[in-house]
Amino acid sequence: MLALESVDAAYGDAQALWDVSLTVGRGEIVTLLGANGAGKTTTLRTISGLLRPRRGRVLLDGKRLDTRPAHEVAAAGIGHVPEARRLFANMTVRENLLMGAFRAERWADREATLERVFETFPRLAERRHQLAGTLSGGEQQMCAIGRALMGRPSLLMLDEPSLGLAPNVVDLIFDIIRQVAQGGVTILLVEQNAHLALEIADRGYVMETGRIVLEGAGRDLLEDAHVRRAYLGL
Amino acid sequence: MPWFIVVEQILNGLVLGAIYAIMASGLSLIWGSLKMLNFAHGEFYMLGGYGLYLLLLYTGLPLGVAVPICVAAVYLAGWLVERAFVQPLLDKPGWDVSPLIATLGISIVLQNLALRLLGERIQSLPYFVEGTLALGSVRIAWHRVLILLVSGLVIAAFVSILKTTRLGMALRATAQDRDAATLQGINVRGVYAMTFGLSAALAALAGTMLAPIFSVSPWMGAALLGKAFVVCVLGGLGSLEGAILGGVILGTVESLAVVLWSSEWKDVVSFIVLIGVLWVRPAGLFGTREW
Amino acid sequence: MVKPDRTPQVIWLAGLLVLVVLPAVLPNDYVVTVLILCMLHAVLASSWNFLMGFAGIFSFGHQAFYGLGAYVSALLAMRAGLDPWLGLVVGGLAAAALGAFIAVPTLRLRAAPYIAIATLGFAEIARITASNLVGLTRGELGLVGIPPLTDVGPLRFGAGSRIGSYYAMLGILALTVVTLGWLVRSRVGLALLAIRESQDAADSLGVAVTRYKVLAFAVSSFFAGAVGAFYAHTFLVLTPSTVLSIAIMIELIAMTLVGGAGTLLGPVVGAFALTLSLEQLRVLGDWRLLIYGAALVALILFMPEGVMRRLLPGRRHL
Repeated sequence: MLALESVDAAYGDAQALWDVSLTVGRGEIVTLLGANGAGKTTTLRTISGLLRPRRGRVLLDGKRLDTRPAHEVAAAGIGHVPEARRLFANMTVRENLLMGAFRAERWADREATLERVFETFPRLAERRHQLAGTLSGGEQQMCAIGRALMGRPSLLMLDEPSLGLAPNVVDLIFDIIRQVAQGGVTILLVEQNAHLALEIADRGYVMETGRIVLEGAGRDLLEDAHVRRAYLGL
Repeated sequence: MPWFIVVEQILNGLVLGAIYAIMASGLSLIWGSLKMLNFAHGEFYMLGGYGLYLLLLYTGLPLGVAVPICVAAVYLAGWLVERAFVQPLLDKPGWDVSPLIATLGISIVLQNLALRLLGERIQSLPYFVEGTLALGSVRIAWHRVLILLVSGLVIAAFVSILKTTRLGMALRATAQDRDAATLQGINVRGVYAMTFGLSAALAALAGTMLAPIFSVSPWMGAALLGKAFVVCVLGGLGSLEGAILGGVILGTVESLAVVLWSSEWKDVVSFIVLIGVLWVRPAGLFGTREW
Repeated sequence: MVKPDRTPQVIWLAGLLVLVVLPAVLPNDYVVTVLILCMLHAVLASSWNFLMGFAGIFSFGHQAFYGLGAYVSALLAMRAGLDPWLGLVVGGLAAAALGAFIAVPTLRLRAAPYIAIATLGFAEIARITASNLVGLTRGELGLVGIPPLTDVGPLRFGAGSRIGSYYAMLGILALTVVTLGWLVRSRVGLALLAIRESQDAADSLGVAVTRYKVLAFAVSSFFAGAVGAFYAHTFLVLTPSTVLSIAIMIELIAMTLVGGAGTLLGPVVGAFALTLSLEQLRVLGDWRLLIYGAALVALILFMPEGVMRRLLPGRRHL
């Protein structure tokens, strides 16, 4: 469904991605592991069009994505829950969620979608008129995921959804990710918590200093000696 | 001094304040989304004034048609200025100051274009409605009452557009987090141009309404731009509530300073008020609260 | 081994040399006067740039210091017989005192537009006061009868002798650039840079933020005041709208930003470029300002980071 072919990307003069190739098949949960600064977030930003690749191609269902304006990537069916959530802090929860359905073809049935998101996240329904900036960390993460779901994406990309959250909240978030995947949405998950990620992932890629160094089935990676030492602390 | 003169001056101050509020809202809107100061804002006000003057002179269209035409035309002008001169500077080194120079240049060009094409003669326009409203001894021109009504309506409409419509929300979202807005499928560059257009349209509306009171000249915008900046800072840049309250305060202070002291010193009084407010509240009355 | 880069020094020396010998080949007093104005603007722009480019304080009221220096020196010379040369220093000091005074309330503000409007407020108060105190300044009628600078050796000042003023102005410009350049490279400059990049970080590192900012204000205002006094004793007429107008400030911003803020060369190059081009454009008559505005827009579109940074990229000290 999604394919990156030999992608190089850079921030100004600083190259951040080197020859990154990966694929995500329809219905899969794929995870991208790696330390801070390995290029995981950059990879997601390149897929979303926030960053243009210097070389290589990004394909969605065989069609080029990297030549289209960034705001059309959402319309192509990609939902992106960015690092640090990036909510619209001075807008209410409801307004934040509605922005997820901004595209004209989603706006029409926004209220119905909103109800479904509220069913998934009852907490958000309670807080719908609260400013997003005043939510707790876990609620903010729910709101960010909910916002992406409002666009009813076929591929959902999540950037460090567990970051800074209490363990029980993390469990809740991961339950929801599983639920979303069961609903037929393809998932590309960036995580520092390799254990959690590999547990739910079908396949995984490991990134180091802007390159993909390892790939394999989730289970195989869990057993891999390098992954166990470097990312699982075993 | 008779009390009714003071009341009349306060009313006149409110009228002026309403115009300041509209001008300042436009500036604040652009600051909120692009984090830049628009030095050509006064010229959009001037374009509104001249546009109305020329339309009335050459076409004899009724006001109800002429004013909307002016406002729409200046919306396009603002949109065009953003696309042609501001957007190319976005994301380039020097962005913190480069739009200042670009809009300053545009302001100089528009002022002198008006001067060359229309001459430096100050043109006057008739009041939209003649006559005065008398409430006991307090008298106020109907035109000024009209300004108050229209300004109030426009500001209310503007706020409700921002708060409730899809485009208004997209505008606020873009102002708060550009990348996150892009991820929702919002074309932020389109939104920036639209924001500029809206801001220009507000200025043009102020220009058409104030033209009969202050006359039309190539420099009419420059003076008001300074006031609008003061109002923005007084109320808190980027805050719509601040722009409205700031406008009303400045207008009233100026008008009262004229009757209670003298017209030569009125600007000194308003600047002292400004500095005093900033001393107590360094981020303006409404701080950095965003819309 | 990295070879020290001498390009900026070469430019400075070449520029100085040209300015020293230039009067020998200049056709008339008009051209000399234009060059005096170029240098005067260069000093003003450099001093404003010291605040804005190096300390990150976006003042919009530099004209207040320029005008105050001019009026103080002129009035002291007329009323108290103060020697105009001494007036340059006194005018500068008066401006520096006002600068330090304004700095205190202004420094509580963080965002650039707030600082800009607050300083503009002070400057407008100064302008309106000068306009209205007709008994002292004659307001817009203009203060006339200001004594010229007194002759020094072969340098003649006063009516009909522009060459003396030319070299005096060149001296002031050189002094300004050398002093500001020295300050920028000193501990003070480093502290100001730290404050510009992050006020909180500088605070926590023990930089006395307020003291350095007040100092930056005072230094910047001193040069503006001194050159204002020079203006008074050279052109011999003062009105609030020529020395205290916001138009001066806007010109300075354009000069500094076109040349390149935060560099030493930028404001000087910008001042010469814009002052000369405005004079050159006189042949266009009434279309002059229109072309000038369009040129500003075009310039910033092609070189958004300023001319000097574009021509000499990657150098910290320009």
